[in-house]
Amino acid sequence: MRVYDIHNLVKRYPNAPRAANDGISLQVEQGEFFGLLGDNGAGKSTLVRQMANLLRPTSGTITLYGQGLDSTPMYTPSRIGYMPQTGFALNNLTVAEAIYLTAHLRGLSRPDARAERERLIDLWQLGPVRHQVATQLSGGQRRLLLLATTLAATPPVVILDEPTNDLDPLRRTWVWDNVRALNRQKGTTIILVTHNVVEAEKVIDRVGILRDGRLVAQGRPSALKAAWSLRLRVDVVFAPGHVPALPVGARPSEVAPERWQFTIARSEALVYTRLLTEEAAVEDFRLSTATLEDLYLSLIDVPPDSTDAHPTLSHPIA
Amino acid sequence: MSHPIQLMRTQPFPIQLLDLTLLQLTNVRWAWRGTLLLGVLAPLIFMGLAAGLAQSNTATLGYVLTGNVVLSLLFSTLGNVSNNFSYMRESGTLDYLATLPVQRVALIIATAIAFLLLSLPSTLISLVAGKLLLGLDLVVSPLVLMVLPLIGLTLAGLGALIGVISRSSQEAGSVSLVMQMVLVVFGPVFVPDQSLSPLIRTVSLLSPATYAASALRQTLLGVPDRIPLWVDVLALIALTLALLWLAGQRLDWRGK
Repeated sequence: MRVYDIHNLVKRYPNAPRAANDGISLQVEQGEFFGLLGDNGAGKSTLVRQMANLLRPTSGTITLYGQGLDSTPMYTPSRIGYMPQTGFALNNLTVAEAIYLTAHLRGLSRPDARAERERLIDLWQLGPVRHQVATQLSGGQRRLLLLATTLAATPPVVILDEPTNDLDPLRRTWVWDNVRALNRQKGTTIILVTHNVVEAEKVIDRVGILRDGRLVAQGRPSALKAAWSLRLRVDVVFAPGHVPALPVGARPSEVAPERWQFTIARSEALVYTRLLTEEAAVEDFRLSTATLEDLYLSLIDVPPDSTDAHPTLSHPIA
Repeated sequence: MSHPIQLMRTQPFPIQLLDLTLLQLTNVRWAWRGTLLLGVLAPLIFMGLAAGLAQSNTATLGYVLTGNVVLSLLFSTLGNVSNNFSYMRESGTLDYLATLPVQRVALIIATAIAFLLLSLPSTLISLVAGKLLLGLDLVVSPLVLMVLPLIGLTLAGLGALIGVISRSSQEAGSVSLVMQMVLVVFGPVFVPDQSLSPLIRTVSLLSPATYAASALRQTLLGVPDRIPLWVDVLALIALTLALLWLAGQRLDWRGK
C-alpha cells in the first residue's frame, strides 16, 4: 500500500533566491524505512514539514494513503507522528506528563495512556528523569523524550527529523535498533531525515538524496551503490610531517590528521595501487567498494573528475 | 508481513479542551507566581494613586475598585495570552500541537481558560484589597460568577488575536501593553463617563473594557450604569465570539 505519493512538489519561500523544494516526486510504501539525505539547506526539513501538513506547498501534490493531507481536519494528525529537528514544544512539562498527555490526545483512554507512558519511559530509559521538566534534561535526554512523545500511541507513519542529534554514539545505535524494531514489528512506516549517512545505511530500506531542493537520486541503497560501483574508495595514511601526495582530480578530503580519503574509477585501481606503493610518504592505504556515504558525498558535491587518462599523485596542499 | 493500519482516534471536543487546558496550565507553571504578583501589585499601586485623587468620593472610588479588577484581568489574561501565543509559535509548540488530532478552536479556548483560571486569584485579591483600602461596601450579585469569567474570556480572546498576528513575542508584548493602556484610558474604566469627552465616550463603546467595567460596577457595587447589564453581557459575548473566531482564522495552524 502506498503511504505517500508526492508529485512535482515545489516550495518557494518569499524573497528566497531559489525554491526550497523544486519539482520533487517520490513515493513511500507502507512499512518502509525511507531515508532522506542531503546537506544543510538541501530542503529536507521543508519537505517533511509539508508531508506533516505543517507547511503548504507552492505547487504540486502530496497524498497520504491516497487522499489529500487536508481531506478532513484530522486526516493527517490521526495518521502521523512528527519529530522536529530542534526544540521540544512542551518544555515545562515533566517527562511523564508530556508522554501521557500526548498519548491521551492521540485517542488512547486514560488507563491506556498511562500504560503507554510507562512502556515508553521504559523503552527510552527515561525512568530516572520521569518527574523532571524537559528544560532540566540534557540535550540527549530531551531527544529521547521527543522520540517517546512522537511515538506515543504508535502512529502508523512516523517522520523523524535528525532524531539522533545530541546523542552519543552508543545511544545512537540503540535508538536505531529501537526504531528499526518498531518498523519491523508493528509495520510502522518511518521517514527519516539525517546527515548521518553511515548510521542510516544500516537501517533504511530506500533512500532519497536531496541537493539544492531537488531529488537527485532515490532507490534502494544497494541498487544506488551498484549503479555507482564503478568507483572505489581509497583510504590513505601518510607518515607524520610529510606533505601528502594525492590525486587532485579525485577531490581528496582529510578525514583525520594524516588520513585522507578519495574515490577513483575501478579501472584506475591498479595504477593507483602502484603509485601509492611507490610513494615513500604513504604508510598505509586501503581500497574498498564505495559506501552510501561516498555516493551521497559524490551527489551533493561536484562529482569527482575520474576521467584522467593518466592518474598521478600530486601535492595539493604543498 | 503486512500490518493493518491502526489509525489514532480523535478525542471528543470536551476531552481535547480539558487536556489542552491542563497542558497549558502545566506548560506555563513557571509563570504562576509572576502572574499572581503582577496581577495583584500593578492594580494595587494604581489603586493607591487613584484613591488619593478620588478624595473619598464614593462613586469615584467605586470606579477605582472596579477599574482595578479590570486592570488585573487585563494584565493576567490579555497580556499573558498574547505572549503565550507568540511564544508557542516561536518555540514550536504550535507545530507540535498541530500534528496532534486536536482542533485549533480547542487550543484557543483552552489557552483562554488556562489564563483565566490563573487570573482569578489575583482578581479576587485585588477585589478584597480594594475593598479594604477604599472602605467600600460591596453589594455582590450572583451574576458576578458569570460576568468575571466572561470578561476574562473576552480579554483573553483579544490577547490571542494580538499573539497570533504579532511577528514576534517582543512585538506581542509591546502591542498588548499599548492595548492595555488604551483600553484603560480611553473609556469609563477608572473615571466616570461624564468626565470623558463625547468623542472618547463614543469610541469607548468599541472597547471590551467599557462593558467589563460597567458590568462589574453593577454586579459588585449594585449601582445602575449608563449601559444596562444585559447589554454589557451581550456585548461581551459578541466580542468574545468575534475575537476567538478572528484569532482562529489568523492562527498559523497546519500550514494555513
